[in-house]
Amino acid sequence: MFRFSTRRTSRTPAQCAERKRKKTDWIECNDSHSIGAAKAVLHSKELSCGEPIPNVSPDDACAILVAQRKQRPISPHLSIYQPQLTWYGSAANRITGSVLSVGAYGFFAAYAVAPAFGWHFDSATIAAAFSGLPAAAKFGIKLAVALPFSYHSWNGIRHLLWDTGKALDIKDVYRTGYTVLGLTTISAIYLAMV
Amino acid sequence: MASLFRSSLRTSTAMAVVPKLSRPVTTTSAAAIAVKCTRMKNLGVLARAGMAKKGFHVSASRKILPAGPQVIQGTVNDAAEVPDPNATHGSYHWSFERVFPSHTHAFSSMLANTLPKLISVALVPLTVAPFAAGSINPVTDAILGATIVIHSHIGFESMVIDYIPHRRYPTLRKGALWALKGATVLVLVGLYEFETNDVGITEGLCSFRLVSFQTGPVWLGLADAKCGDDGVAIKRVWRA
Repeated sequence: MFRFSTRRTSRTPAQCAERKRKKTDWIECNDSHSIGAAKAVLHSKELSCGEPIPNVSPDDACAILVAQRKQRPISPHLSIYQPQLTWYGSAANRITGSVLSVGAYGFFAAYAVAPAFGWHFDSATIAAAFSGLPAAAKFGIKLAVALPFSYHSWNGIRHLLWDTGKALDIKDVYRTGYTVLGLTTISAIYLAMV
Repeated sequence: MASLFRSSLRTSTAMAVVPKLSRPVTTTSAAAIAVKCTRMKNLGVLARAGMAKKGFHVSASRKILPAGPQVIQGTVNDAAEVPDPNATHGSYHWSFERVFPSHTHAFSSMLANTLPKLISVALVPLTVAPFAAGSINPVTDAILGATIVIHSHIGFESMVIDYIPHRRYPTLRKGALWALKGATVLVLVGLYEFETNDVGITEGLCSFRLVSFQTGPVWLGLADAKCGDDGVAIKRVWRA
């Protein structure tokens, strides 16, 4: 990292402890003064060619650092990794779980507030509306629910298996991963058709 | 996940910042050569400050998730703080490890580690029961609903903790956790209403034709999915 020459002498342990106790002279860098101050610093001094970079005040150094940090590569940089069953499966577990949970929260929250808004949200009304849909739409909607449910359920069992300390080597992780994919396909299609 | 969207942001941010910063300083006393020098020196300052556009940033710019606020404690030359030694992470950890021979640390983290797993384990028989037995008892149905809500709450909480770092967004983190608590309470109210005034989860899924606990491809019209009378029973039990 580029070190700003702020001509700061190193602190003694006692000074550090005191500063930590008081918590008063922490410099909290934030956006409010970052870009503007960095600009001001860089434009404030006029240098001739070859002259070294001037000392900057701690506040301005902080502002420059903030502007600099905003351009850092972010880690982990997912798109550079090879798509693999291991981490794709893990991401899918969270995505399917959140989809199901958002659905459940949405339904029950809507059910709770339905009387206040005069909505007809009872199961009989929904079932009647659903039964009026064309077969393809029914299949599509049911598959859209059954697929995340199946995956999250089967993969959840895989997680519980891992919690017992079993099937943790890479070969077993792939084997159970493909098993989950197979079971998910079968059960999702079954649930969408029954 | 954020990195997926942020991968190309560096370029756009750099492009946004650099033109502002690299505007040549106009000198009053110097001639054309001075202007050239100022431009060069500004680039030098920026390069050393890490603000020049790097050659390997070649992806297209998409301003989806700009970098969040940067919080720096101490001065720019300070190393990261060494956290205070805490017996909970040290000697106590190993004591608890011996007492509770699993992935437990202290009592609170034991609870935090174990509760989600207990909830997940409980969901297995609760989810399997309707498929195996055709339908389930109203009380079991209510337990299934409550367990799903707690499981979801823990999952949402994990996501808030993962994606809203406390160090950068302390207020947003707190707000999100409280909003989640509020949503969970509202959802529990909705669940109670659904269990007492409506047919319950298993029966509801059956009547939506989402799951038919009778065998036969209802979707093809070859069989009629008749849901059991448990929905009525739920009302009776809860109302009694």
